[in-house]
Amino acid sequence: MVSLAWSNLMHNKLRSLLSALAVGLGITLMLVSKGLATGSIAEVAQRMQSVDAELVVLPAQDNIIFTNGAPFPDLIRRLILKQKDERGPIAESVIPVFFGQVSMGGQQQRLFGVDPAQMPLFLGHRRVLAGKAFDRARAFAREIEARGEPLPDDADAWQAYMAPGLELVIDDRLRRVGRLDPETGQRVPYRLGDRVRVMGYDFRIVGIVETGVAGRVFAPLQTMREIVLAGEKKSSMFFVKLRPDIDPVAAADRLAALLGSGARVELKSTYGTLLRQSFAQVNMYMNASSGLALVVCFLFILLTMYTVVIERTREIGILKSLGVTRFNLLALSVSEALLISMVGVGIGIGLALLAKYVLHVVRPLLTVTLSGSLLSLAVLIGIVGGVLSALYPGYRAARLDPATALSSE
Amino acid sequence: MSDPMIHVRGVCHTYRHGGVQEPVLHDLDLDIAPGEFVVIMGPSGCGKTTLLNIVGLMMPPSRAEVLRVGGRDALGLDDAARARLRRHAIGFVFQRFNLLPAISARENVALPLRIRGERVDGQVDSLLERVGLARYAGKKPGQLSVGQQQRVALARALVGRPSLVLADEPTGNLDSENAEAVLALLGEFHREWHQTILMITHNPALAAGADRVIRMQDGRFCD
Ligand SMILES: Nc1ncnc2c1ncn2[C@@H]1O[C@H](COP(=O)(O)OP(=O)(O)OP(=O)(O)O)[C@@H](O)[C@H]1O
Ligand SMILES: [Mg+2]
Repeated sequence: MVSLAWSNLMHNKLRSLLSALAVGLGITLMLVSKGLATGSIAEVAQRMQSVDAELVVLPAQDNIIFTNGAPFPDLIRRLILKQKDERGPIAESVIPVFFGQVSMGGQQQRLFGVDPAQMPLFLGHRRVLAGKAFDRARAFAREIEARGEPLPDDADAWQAYMAPGLELVIDDRLRRVGRLDPETGQRVPYRLGDRVRVMGYDFRIVGIVETGVAGRVFAPLQTMREIVLAGEKKSSMFFVKLRPDIDPVAAADRLAALLGSGARVELKSTYGTLLRQSFAQVNMYMNASSGLALVVCFLFILLTMYTVVIERTREIGILKSLGVTRFNLLALSVSEALLISMVGVGIGIGLALLAKYVLHVVRPLLTVTLSGSLLSLAVLIGIVGGVLSALYPGYRAARLDPATALSSE
Repeated sequence: MSDPMIHVRGVCHTYRHGGVQEPVLHDLDLDIAPGEFVVIMGPSGCGKTTLLNIVGLMMPPSRAEVLRVGGRDALGLDDAARARLRRHAIGFVFQRFNLLPAISARENVALPLRIRGERVDGQVDSLLERVGLARYAGKKPGQLSVGQQQRVALARALVGRPSLVLADEPTGNLDSENAEAVLALLGEFHREWHQTILMITHNPALAAGADRVIRMQDGRFCD
């Protein structure tokens, strides 16, 4: 039966190939969208783990993907620092982050506004490859922290005042991806001293750090607050580094109780899970649309198989005269559809690998992960879809009356 | 006389299309002994194909008192059992388009064996050789002439050594030369293997070699 199925498919190569291609495209869409989602999430989650802290304090909202803006006043930081047990404060440091956006490396990047003095906590064991992890901005930040009087309101004076704070530190992957040279149309790696426009200001790249740190782009927290919030000391989130002898779970509970409903306190290690959960909501639409695409692809197989049954009515009559059972005919139909969908899955995986490669070239910062389980899912979808789409046409073939089938031309 | 190969009593058949009923077979009795070569003749539309389909278990009659094929009571069989009986006991040759177009002549001939799950051995090629088509074994039906296709169909009907061969105007689409060739082959195999053959034809010349000729008219046998 399988060899007859194969011969039947080869008898109309173009049609078989088109059906396989349809399935292949659906599978590609599914693989790339899922692979992109999981890859990017995993990458972001992994980078967050690099921060030398145990807890994260996030805004109390369900979805942590869209944490923009700065809901937390500085009071929260000071409150956490005041928490003590019999041996002293439970937190060694509270590390505020102020999120912004910057367009670099051909896409929007999350800009990590951090206190230059706290950069070591973000770097951990990772090295500064070139320049410094903030230079003049260190002094600028201290100055702003200390200063209380109003800011200059004359534009030139303002620019001069801000200049030392306009520094960026980027990771090595972003450096390599680089910027688009408007003259040659080529990508050129970022270099120290390159200027990047952020929120209307010309920032300079002053340091390049090893890849794997929490952000791809860092700017001084104080500068960003100055620009966005007129110096108001608000933060998007905090990392909390606990005293080594403190149990993180107990500390998380304590801080959660302290901060009440406005914040959620999580272990840094659960950040990845949170991110996946948050993404699942967004992903639902992606899943739904790639699912829908797959359904359409398998409808294509169904239609093909149905056409085939109509076309081969007489052949089915001949097979019945030879003593083929209804079950055999159903099996024939299923075999053909399965062959189509398996070739389709092969095409789909091939195209997904190609898409991964192409994305790697044109959008080097995106990570597409085609894991074994994702590929198995594609095969499973191929099998289930192939079988399902063959059932009805196969049933029609099986049910044909042998004598009637034979009399058709 | 041993058990008849075909033993039919009171077979009636009525086609229904829409509300219209068309009685085609009227209370037929038929006995064919094992090894007999019987030809059915009669005007177009008299019900020959219908009878052949009923005897070949391709469709159930509207009514029948007895329908025994190859010693088995066919009336009580379900679809799968009828398929099994066709697979093991009956070989068909139709007027035209007998072959599956996607596979070679050799694979077409081998098909009954494959469906039975039997090994495909040298006899496929030796049969093809006997019908004079050894050179064409690898060709698809579309690359063969109508006469050649019909000889492949004959080889396929015989390859499983069925005890009953049903042929519905096997030469109806052929010129006289090809028709005679096919019929000669059928006669040859019959003399050698003694299958029971029930053949429909319009051609009186071809009926000459048969053991018995049954004439049909308006769904009845004329005696
Ligand atoms: N599937 C069917 N549905 C309805 N009527 C049918 C069907 N098959 C045959 N008939 C009718 O039954 C009658 C007998 O048909 P049948 O095919 O048995 O005749 P036949 O003797 O084989 O004729 P021919 O020599 O032309 O092949 C015809 O009047 C035909 O119109
Ligand atoms: Mg007929």
